[in-house]
Amino acid sequence: MSATLHSIAGSRSFRVLWLLHELGEPVEVVPYQIMDGSLQQEGFKAISPARRVPALEIDGRVLIESGATVQYLCETRKGHDLMPPVHADERADWLQWLHYAETLGGGIQNLNMQHLFLPKPEMRSLTVMGIETKRLAIALKGVEKALSDGRDYLLPTGFSAADVMMGFTLTSARRYVRFEGFPHLTAYQARLEARPAYSAAQVAEGPQQFYTQDFYELPEG
Amino acid sequence: MQITLHHAHEARSMRVLWLLEEFGADYTLRVYDFFNKSLRSEDYLTIHPAGRVPSVEVDGRVMLESGAIAEYLAEQLPAAGLHRGPDHPERMEYLELLHYAETIGQHLANLTQGHIVLYEDWMRSPTQIGLETKRLAKVLTRLEAQLRDGRAYLLTSGFSAADCAVGYGVWLAPRFVSLEKLPHVAAYRDRLMARPALQKALPPEGAKRIYTKDFYEVPDV
Ligand SMILES: N[C@@H](CCC(=O)N[C@@H](CS)C(=O)NCC(=O)O)C(=O)O
Ligand SMILES: N[C@@H](CCC(=O)N[C@@H](CS)C(=O)NCC(=O)O)C(=O)O
Repeated sequence: MSATLHSIAGSRSFRVLWLLHELGEPVEVVPYQIMDGSLQQEGFKAISPARRVPALEIDGRVLIESGATVQYLCETRKGHDLMPPVHADERADWLQWLHYAETLGGGIQNLNMQHLFLPKPEMRSLTVMGIETKRLAIALKGVEKALSDGRDYLLPTGFSAADVMMGFTLTSARRYVRFEGFPHLTAYQARLEARPAYSAAQVAEGPQQFYTQDFYELPEG
Repeated sequence: MQITLHHAHEARSMRVLWLLEEFGADYTLRVYDFFNKSLRSEDYLTIHPAGRVPSVEVDGRVMLESGAIAEYLAEQLPAAGLHRGPDHPERMEYLELLHYAETIGQHLANLTQGHIVLYEDWMRSPTQIGLETKRLAKVLTRLEAQLRDGRAYLLTSGFSAADCAVGYGVWLAPRFVSLEKLPHVAAYRDRLMARPALQKALPPEGAKRIYTKDFYEVPDV
């Protein structure tokens, strides 16, 4: 039986979808939307107890947490170089970037909440929007710095699942932070998007539906 | 292993401090004041480019991200028994919890920002604080369901590094949500509090703390 991915296009579920494409694993996508109540459907809670995506049905079990799912797939699928073994020199860095991607993911989620999902402008906090934008920029700068020695991917040894975790994060971050000051990050993102599995995963997930602008300026205030 | 932990009392670095105490490992501790910009000093920024805690130096290598550090230390020191390797039947649950800890952690961080870091009413968004409080309660409900079968710790195979990662959030959560309707979580928290290693990770008498109120009420909209 092939895998089933519960997914919102343009969200963290892209990490899992892209990885499955890198691994050549067939997967069926069940699409949800953030605001249309589809996450509240009867039955989804049994799949994802906190009603979040991604949730991946595979190998007779349900996996949640994108980072854990990515590591599980690397461990259970053979014939790839996407994860350094426990005693490899790059192990610590690989784990670090896997989790760091979620520090970026959390920052983006906070900005999404303020810019897109609070129904009325007076519910927002301009202070929070300002702080979160700055924190996201600083966290991105950490990635820029790591790439500045000229490496192509997060690990000097080459492409790995840590890069897959960064996937949707950079695309979304660019809606809130300008990348002009981040030449290495810009080139890195282009390198990721040029991978055939990346484009194939984009086709499989369909168009994202919650961002309506390429860039969100901080409101005046 | 030569380990230096960069820490602020009551911050996520407490996960790592607690874990090091569970190992009985030797380590050097550097404590920063969460509020006075010491995390933004030139010296610290060379270690953590985003100026956050925790970071660790392990045999001269810098590592960021509490979840990654916990996973790495536990797998490099398997004799401590706090690790669940790829062959363990609870491997996936273990990985999931290490990441779920930050799903909980992000809500706690947002609440810390809303209640404490933003010290003036006009800076905050009461709507966001209300939403984050509800989301925190929801992610804890999932732990309640997991603990309901009477297990002492999050995995049926006993205490693990995942308990330090998630346990930090469980330790902190009652300052923002009541555990009254989550009796298994409350009993689990008591069990964690009884561990000498957790007690040693708490701030010493008289130290400057992040959390000074027992309970932070959601402000009126
Ligand atoms: N740490 C989790 C976070 C999952 C998460 O929060 N997913 C978002 C979409 S990107 C979601 O489902 N949000 C819906 C909600 O929170 O109601 C992961 O990496 O999988
Ligand atoms: N995902 C990271 C988050 C680290 C983090 O944000 N730490 C907070 C303290 S709990 C911090 O250092 N905040 C200070 C700041 O961002 O200025 C981890 O788990 O280590």
